[in-house]
Amino acid sequence: MQRQRSLLVLIIVLVIAAIMVIATIPVPLGLDLRGGSQLTIQVKPSEEIKEITERELEAVKKVVEGRINGLGVSEPVIQTVGTDKILVQLPGLNDPEQAERVLGGTAQLEFRTQKPNTETQIFGLQVSRKELKAKQEELRKSNDKEAITQNQEELQNNNRAIAELFESTNPPLTGKYLKDAYGEPTQGTNWNVAIRFDPKGGELFADLTKKLAGTGRTIGIFLDKELISSPTVGVEFAPTGITGGSAVITGRFEAQEANNLGVQLRGGALPVPVEISERRTVGATLGKDSIQSSIYAGIGGLILVLIFMVVYYRLPGLIADVSLVIYSLLTWATFCLLGVTLTLPGIAGFILSIGMAVDANVLIFERTREELRAGKSLYRSVESGFHRAFSSILDSNVTTWIACASLFWLGSGLVKGFALTLALGVGVSMFTAITCSRTLMFLAVSIPSWRKTELYCPKLPASNKAEVAQ
Amino acid sequence: MTLRINKARSIWWTISAAIILSGIISMVISSQNPNIKAPLRPSLDFIGGTRLQLVRDCSQPGNCDKPIDINTVREVAKDQGLGDSSIQLISENGQENGITIRTKNLETEQRTNLQNALSEKTGTFDPQKNQIDSVGPTLGRELLRSGVLALVVSFIGITIYMSFRFQLDYAIFAIVALFHDILVTVGAFSILGLVAGIEVDSLFIVALLTITGFSVNDTVVIYDRIRETIKINPDRPIADIVDDAVNQTLSRSINTTLTTLLTLTAIFLFGGETLRNFSLALIIGFLMGAYSSIFIASTLLTLWRERTGKYTIENIDN
Repeated sequence: MQRQRSLLVLIIVLVIAAIMVIATIPVPLGLDLRGGSQLTIQVKPSEEIKEITERELEAVKKVVEGRINGLGVSEPVIQTVGTDKILVQLPGLNDPEQAERVLGGTAQLEFRTQKPNTETQIFGLQVSRKELKAKQEELRKSNDKEAITQNQEELQNNNRAIAELFESTNPPLTGKYLKDAYGEPTQGTNWNVAIRFDPKGGELFADLTKKLAGTGRTIGIFLDKELISSPTVGVEFAPTGITGGSAVITGRFEAQEANNLGVQLRGGALPVPVEISERRTVGATLGKDSIQSSIYAGIGGLILVLIFMVVYYRLPGLIADVSLVIYSLLTWATFCLLGVTLTLPGIAGFILSIGMAVDANVLIFERTREELRAGKSLYRSVESGFHRAFSSILDSNVTTWIACASLFWLGSGLVKGFALTLALGVGVSMFTAITCSRTLMFLAVSIPSWRKTELYCPKLPASNKAEVAQ
Repeated sequence: MTLRINKARSIWWTISAAIILSGIISMVISSQNPNIKAPLRPSLDFIGGTRLQLVRDCSQPGNCDKPIDINTVREVAKDQGLGDSSIQLISENGQENGITIRTKNLETEQRTNLQNALSEKTGTFDPQKNQIDSVGPTLGRELLRSGVLALVVSFIGITIYMSFRFQLDYAIFAIVALFHDILVTVGAFSILGLVAGIEVDSLFIVALLTITGFSVNDTVVIYDRIRETIKINPDRPIADIVDDAVNQTLSRSINTTLTTLLTLTAIFLFGGETLRNFSLALIIGFLMGAYSSIFIASTLLTLWRERTGKYTIENIDN
């Protein structure tokens, strides 16, 4: 009895905790429910790069990030998937057209020279660029879409103005001549960015630096037409330019900055074409409709099940209903805690797991009834009902877990959501069926006025009743 | 009520064989069909393509005065060189206000052109109600491969688990019953693909995997009972033991299937377009799962044990 009581306390504490969790932590909604675009970008091997490694994928991701940031979408998610894919999620974007346009195609990296007599102009533009970028960061946090778009336009105008102050070399020194780029530490906490060209690129770079050395004009390094770095060339290189195809960009970089620039340069130099291999867009209204209809379906299904259980199983059915509600609360709270992104198939998995949770109770109660019919006392029947049904419950849940696990490891995004919610649901259902239903049942059995067998098993042969009542 | 399933087992086997056979015939016909060329009608998830779902913006005055004419839409598609696309109208609030177009995989440019041409002819669309899915052919094949792989892996996993918890012959018949359920569901969708044009997508594979879990589930409960009875009473004929086990677990089988079907029917009716075929697949599969565990898995186990002579004794009175 002592154990029952402490379990009861545990359950109550869990339920209160679950309600608090649900109230405070919202479940993030998938794009199919909140509306938005999801693009899968496939990075393809080319003649120069036969195999896409992690390093290449990371570099391409950086390029993609740069392009997405240029769009001014709030809360974009960009992640690498597998060995050659990048997943881009753009919440709230109804028309992915623009995003698709900027994302497709190979990155364009170019080293240009600053036009003469533009120093003051550049200085002014760079100052306002810094301000605009800082403002953009602020705006992103506030989520004011109109202001973001407006600021983004100003940024782009600024970019264009800056780009006009630079001119291409002849032939243009583009990313295809760049072999490698990486951040490297120098003295103290300072970092440099080292770059290395192929022979042809080395010649072009020597010409370019010879022209600029000592003039105070800068090299403009542009990635997708945006200035990412503008180093000057020291006067000592005036006679020959920087020869040998290697150079170091100095400038009090921190480790992170240097690495970032290195990855950006590498990404820009990659001659790998990217292709959008999957696009899925759901309008916001459509997403809202989906949430609504799935909530109706979920609540409708749950109510039907609750009614069925009480009608068929009487008092145990009522107890099962209580533990089903507890089950739903706990599972939902688990989603909140684990940060499970809720998608439409995910909701289906959750609703389905309610059905599974019922199964455990049905197994137990059927067993209890059987024991009652066999003439055992009420207490003993309840006890052996739980005891004997356990192995069936375990077996059936493990098989579902196996199916979920293979779905989770091998499936794609949407499918994963379903597998995760179903698996979590099945796990929680084992706990509620065995702990909640059990504790509540024993509690009910301990109340004398509830100890009527009719409450547990209608139509029990009269001969059994006398014994059971003891 | 007691059910003597082993008496009439040839009937159950004939019924199942007939259902599965019609499914297989449908898959063959479907593979020959030039429009499908596969046992089931694949959605763009697996073969690549673009699907546009556009709904008109009725808050603009005059935009929705006339219902959309499907022939206009067809002509627009033809002008864009997409004459072979399949086009459907969607009705909303009793009027045909939306279009679904399924074409080959379109590039951004082509898609935008199509969208613009359509809105010119039929009225402006509400971007908030758009749904655009586009999958490249390579990715489609990958999705299919990983889906089928997931199925195979879970089959193997379940066989291993079952032979570890039960004996190997139990495991094998549970898998036979499972194949039965999967075959019936796949067959049913093949027929639906032929007759009603219903396509199978990634969610269909998810449904098959869920059916896998549930089907074995049902079988496990009955086998669990058979094992328990054999332990207590090893001398009884296996047919009686199995009949008893089925009857003892019958109300559980019915009630569990019923409650699960209640939730699934709710999803089917109110869960929206995306989940409709998914829940239909589950409904068919779960019904079959309950049926096969009672009528197929148990009777096969009886037959096998009678043939091999395990746990049975000769009836001396005979």
